[in-house]
Amino acid sequence: MKILNLNKSEHRFRLVGILLVSFFLVTSVFAPVIAPYDPYERVGTPFERPCLEHILGCNDVGHDLFSELIYGGRVSLFIGLFASFYSTLVSSLLALAAGYYGGRTDRLIMRTVDVVMSLPFLPLVIVLGVFLGPGISTQIIVITTVMWAHPCRELRSQVMKIRESGYIDAARSMGERSIVTVFRHVLPELMPLIVPQFVRVVQQAIMIESSLSFLGLGDPVLKSWGSILFFANTRAAFLTGAWVNWVLPPGLCIAMTVLGFSFIGFSLGGRIGLSYYPFGSFILKRKKTSNDAPADDVRLSVNELVTVYNPVLNQCVAVNDVCFDVKKGEMLGLVGESGCGKSTIAMSVLGMLRYPAEISQGVIILDGKDLLSFSRQNFAKIRGRRIAYIPQNAMNALNPVVSIKKQLIEAVLTHQTISRAAAVERVREVLEMVEIPEDRINAFNHELSGGMKQRVVIAMALVNNPDFLIADEPTTGLDVLVQQEIVRLLVRLKQQLGLSILFITHDLPLVMTYSDKMAVMYQGEIVDSGSVDEVYYNSTHVHTKALFSSFPCLFEQKRWKRDAFLQEGQASLVLENVTKSFYSKRGLFAKGLKPVYAVKDVSLSVMPGEVVGLIGGSGSGKSTIARLVMGLETQDEGKIFINGLELAGKSRRMKQEILRDIHLVFQDPYQSMRSHMKIFDIVAEPLRIHGTRGRAEIDARVRNALREVSLPCDDGFLLRHPSELSGGQRQRLSFARAIVINPKFIIADEPTSMLDVSLRSGLLELMEKLRSDHGVGFVFITHDLALARHFCDRLLVLNDGSIIEQGESDDVVFSPVENYTKRLISAVEEPDLMKSSRALSV
Amino acid sequence: MVYIKILFQYILVFFVILIINFALPRIAPGDPAIYLVGDDIQYMSEEERLQVLKEFKLDLPVMQQFKNYITGIFKKDLGVSIIYGRPVWDILRDRLPWTFLIMGVAMLFSASIGIILGVIGAWKRGGRRDIGSLVIVMTLGSVPPFWVAMLLITLFSAKLHWFPSFGAYAIGAIPGTFAYFVSVLQRIILPVLTLTLVKTGAMFLTARSSMVIAMEEDYVMLAHAKGLKEKTVIFRHALRNAVLPIYTNIMMGLGAMVGGAAIIETVFSYPGLGNTIYESVTARDYSLLQGSFLVVSISILFFNFIADLGYPLLDPRVRKQTVGR
Repeated sequence: MKILNLNKSEHRFRLVGILLVSFFLVTSVFAPVIAPYDPYERVGTPFERPCLEHILGCNDVGHDLFSELIYGGRVSLFIGLFASFYSTLVSSLLALAAGYYGGRTDRLIMRTVDVVMSLPFLPLVIVLGVFLGPGISTQIIVITTVMWAHPCRELRSQVMKIRESGYIDAARSMGERSIVTVFRHVLPELMPLIVPQFVRVVQQAIMIESSLSFLGLGDPVLKSWGSILFFANTRAAFLTGAWVNWVLPPGLCIAMTVLGFSFIGFSLGGRIGLSYYPFGSFILKRKKTSNDAPADDVRLSVNELVTVYNPVLNQCVAVNDVCFDVKKGEMLGLVGESGCGKSTIAMSVLGMLRYPAEISQGVIILDGKDLLSFSRQNFAKIRGRRIAYIPQNAMNALNPVVSIKKQLIEAVLTHQTISRAAAVERVREVLEMVEIPEDRINAFNHELSGGMKQRVVIAMALVNNPDFLIADEPTTGLDVLVQQEIVRLLVRLKQQLGLSILFITHDLPLVMTYSDKMAVMYQGEIVDSGSVDEVYYNSTHVHTKALFSSFPCLFEQKRWKRDAFLQEGQASLVLENVTKSFYSKRGLFAKGLKPVYAVKDVSLSVMPGEVVGLIGGSGSGKSTIARLVMGLETQDEGKIFINGLELAGKSRRMKQEILRDIHLVFQDPYQSMRSHMKIFDIVAEPLRIHGTRGRAEIDARVRNALREVSLPCDDGFLLRHPSELSGGQRQRLSFARAIVINPKFIIADEPTSMLDVSLRSGLLELMEKLRSDHGVGFVFITHDLALARHFCDRLLVLNDGSIIEQGESDDVVFSPVENYTKRLISAVEEPDLMKSSRALSV
Repeated sequence: MVYIKILFQYILVFFVILIINFALPRIAPGDPAIYLVGDDIQYMSEEERLQVLKEFKLDLPVMQQFKNYITGIFKKDLGVSIIYGRPVWDILRDRLPWTFLIMGVAMLFSASIGIILGVIGAWKRGGRRDIGSLVIVMTLGSVPPFWVAMLLITLFSAKLHWFPSFGAYAIGAIPGTFAYFVSVLQRIILPVLTLTLVKTGAMFLTARSSMVIAMEEDYVMLAHAKGLKEKTVIFRHALRNAVLPIYTNIMMGLGAMVGGAAIIETVFSYPGLGNTIYESVTARDYSLLQGSFLVVSISILFFNFIADLGYPLLDPRVRKQTVGR
C-alpha cells in the first residue's frame, strides 16, 4: 500500500501536514544552531524595530524576537507532544479495559469520562494550573487530565465494535487468555484509530498550551509562542506598530503547526470521503444497436446492454452484452452468484448508475420508450412511478427518523398531484395490500420486524401503481418462513395487479418455483435463459449445470450416507437442561424486566464422530448453543460436559485443556479472521494457544492442515493475508485452523451460508473428508433443511430456544411430528420439475 | 423512564462537580489560608492566620465543612470576592448574561455558516470548492482565538477606530436607551466575529462528515429509487439524519464556549464570566475563582441536559418505546 498517493486529496492534505509539522519540528530541534542569539540574553535595545541584526526586532527588554520565536517552538511542541502522548496512553488503556471487559469496569470508567467531559475544559485547566502551581510539568499533567476523556470515549466504542468481531470470538473460543487477546488482536486493530486521535490531541494540546501561556499561566521562565504573545499583550504591542513583528509571527507559528497536525489528523481520519457522484451520473457512450421495436406485449426490453465501470485505467465490464425481455404480467428470475453483475443490471434499468459507471452499448425500452434517451430529471419522473425498485437489505432501506406513513406519502406526492388526504388513503390501501396492520402506519423503522420492513418497502414500490418492478434480492437475510411469505406476496401482487417483475436472486430453487422465465448470469453475461423447463433441461453452459447439481433436493436420495452408527462409549458433548436468557435492557430500573430466553431447557448429546444438525430459523437459539459450548457465554442453568468434563468453574488452564478437543467454525469467513494477520499465523494460532512452541513442529503442522483442506501450503501462500483470498478459500482456511490441533469435534455455525451456491457442496465434501479421515464429529448449525438432511446423521429442530423435535435425519424430514417442523419442510422451495427429474434418476 | 435515568445521571455528575469544587483548594499544596486572603498571608502573624481560618470555618472537620459548603451553595452563598469586596454570587449574576450574549450570537453564526457550508461540501465533495472551503475552514480553526482577537483589535480598533475594544457597553450609558443598545452592539461585534471565525471549522467538519456518512446509507438510495429530486433527498433524508451528530456538537459547543470564551473576553476586557475567571486567577481571588468555576460547570451541565431532552424529539429511536419491539 502506498502511503502517499498524490492523486488522492487525502494524501495531498497529509503531505502538506507532514511538511508543516516537520518544518517546525526541525527548527525547534536545531534551535541553538538556527537562532542567531540566545533568547534569554539582552542583545538589543528594548522595542527595537526590525533591522538586519534583529530580523523581527526586539521585545520590551531587548531580547531578540526571532530567536525567541525559534526557541518558543521547543516548549510548545514539547508540551503538545508529551501531553498528548500521555493522554493517548491513558485513554487507550482505559478504552481497552472498558470496551473489552465491559460490565462494572466499563461503567466506572465511562462515568468518570462523563464527569471529566462535563467539566469546563479551559477553566479547569486554568484552575488546576493555579492550584498546582505554574511549570512545564504542571501543564503536561493538566492537559493530560482534561484531554484523555474524549478520545477514550471514541476509542472505547471502537473497542466494543472490535470485540464483537468474529476473530475475537474465535480467539476466545480457542481458549486464548483475555489479556493476550487484547494485545494480539484488539490493539493492532485499534492502532489505526489511535493515531488520528493522538494527532487530534496534539493540536488541541498546543492550542491549550499557548492559551495558558498567553494568560500568563505557563512556566514563567520558559519562552513559548504563547508567552511571547502574553508579553506582547501586556505591553499593548498590538496597539502600536510593533504588532507586525511581535504579534503576527508567533500566532502564525501556532496556527501553522496546529494546521499541520489537523491536516494529518483529517487525512488519517479518512473523513474526506470519496467524491460524491449523484445517482444517474453514468456516462452514456452508446453504440447504435438493432432498432427492432419489441413486440407489443413486452413491457421491458433490454438489448445488447454493456455496462462498464471505468476507474481511470483498469476498466471492468460488469454487464456484457445482455439481452432479455419481460412481458406484461410476467416474472423473470435472474439468478447468479455474488459479483456477477445482477445488481448492475437493476441499476442500469433504473437509471441509477453512478459515475464511473458507463453504459457503452445497448438499448433499454420500457413500453416502447427508449429509457436511455431520457435526461436525468425525466428519468427520476419515471423511477418510482413506472418502474419501482425493491432493494437488497430492507433492514436499512427505510429512513430511521421519519415515520413510514410520511415516507409513503412522500412517494405518492412526488409523482401524483393529489390532495394529502387522498395520498393518505392510497397509503392505507397499499399497506393493507401488503398486509401491514392498520395501526402500524405511524411506526418507525426500528419498531418493525424484518419481514414487516420488507413489506413496507414493497408497499413503497407499489404505491404509485407501477408497471414494472425490480426486486433485488428482496428476501436475503430474512428467516426461511418469512422469505416464503414475502415471495408469495410478490407473486400474488403480480397476478392481482398485472405487474411485470424482474426478480434478482442467488437462490435458484426460489426462482424455479415462482418465476415464469429465468436467466442465469455468470461473470456479467447471461449464459442461459428461457422458461424454467427449457433452462433446466437444455442448459448449455457449464455454470448452469453446476448450479443445478450444486444443491441437493430435500427429498432425493441422501447424499452422505454413513454406516450405521455405533452408539457406545462416552459422548463427546453433553448438554443437560441448559438455559440461557438475556435481558433486553440492563439499566437502573430494568431488573424487573422479563428475560428473553435464547436457549430454554436444552439437552442433547453428541457421540464421537457423529454428525448432528441443529436446525432452526433466525433467533431460534442455534448460535447461542454453540457459544455456550465454547464458553463464550455462560449458561444460567444446566450443565455442559465436553468429554465428560464440565467447563464451568474450571481454571483457565483447565478450560484451555478441555477446549482443545472442540473447535468452532464461524458463519462469516470474512469476520472470523483478522485481515492483517498472515495465513501462517492464523492457522498456527490454536497451536500457539495450546502451548506448542517448536518452530519446526508448528510449521509442519500448519502445512499439513492446509494440505488437508486443499489449500496451497508453499512459503509464499503462508505469508499472504486472508484478504487476498476468496470467500470459499477463507472458509477452507477456517477449517484448516480447526483441524490443526486435531479436535474431537467441530461446531460449524452456518459454514456455507455466506458462500456462493456452487462452493457449498465443495465445502461439505471437505467436511466429510475430515470426518472420515480423522474421525471428527460435527455439530452442523444451519437454517438450510435440505443441506442438513443430506449431511447429518441426526437432526435437532430448534424453535424459540427449545428443541422441539429430534431424531434420525430421514425420520425428521419424512415423518415430522411437530407443526413447526412441518412448516419448515414446506418452506423448502422444491421446484416440481426438479423433484420429478431427480426421482427419475434415483 | 428515560428522563428519570438522564436526570439521575445529571444529579450524579453535579454532585461530583460539587466535590471537585470543594476539594480543589483543599487538596492543593500549601496553606489553605492563602486561598482565602491571597498573598497577603505573608504579612500575617500566626494568630491572625488562625483567626482567618476560624472565620471561614476552615478549622472544622472536613465533613462539617463540606456540609456548610453545600448548604451555602443552595443559599446562593459562594463567599465574598476579595478584589471586588462583594458577594461572589452577585458578581457572577451580573456577568453571566454578557457571556451568554456573545456566546449565543457567535454560536448562531458559526452553526448556521458551518452547517450550510458542510452540507454543500458533502454534496459537492471532492470538488474544487469543497477542498477550498475545507482548507480555509481548517486554517481558521487552527488559529489561536486570542491571536485573532488581537489582530482584529489592531485593525478595527487601533487603526480604523470602528469599534471600541473595551467593556460591554459605553460607560455612562443608561440601560434601556437606544444609545446603550448601540454601544452594546458595537462592543459585541469583534468578540462575536472572533468566535465565529474560530468555531465555524468544527461545525463545518461535523456537518460535512455526518452528511458524507448519511448520504451513503441505504435509505438515501431508496429515496432516489422513489424518484425524488436530488435536493429533496439531500435535505429531507440525508440531512434529517445527519442532524443528530450536528445537534450534539452544537450543544456541546455551547457548553464549552461558556468556558472557552475566557480568553476572548480577556483580550476584549469584556465583563463576562471568562474574564472573571482570569481576573480571579491573576488577583488570586480564590472564592471568586471557585464560584466562577462552579457556575461554568453548571452551565455546561445545563446545556448537556437540554441536549439530552432534545434527543427524543429528533430521533424516534430514543423515544420511549411503546409500540412494537
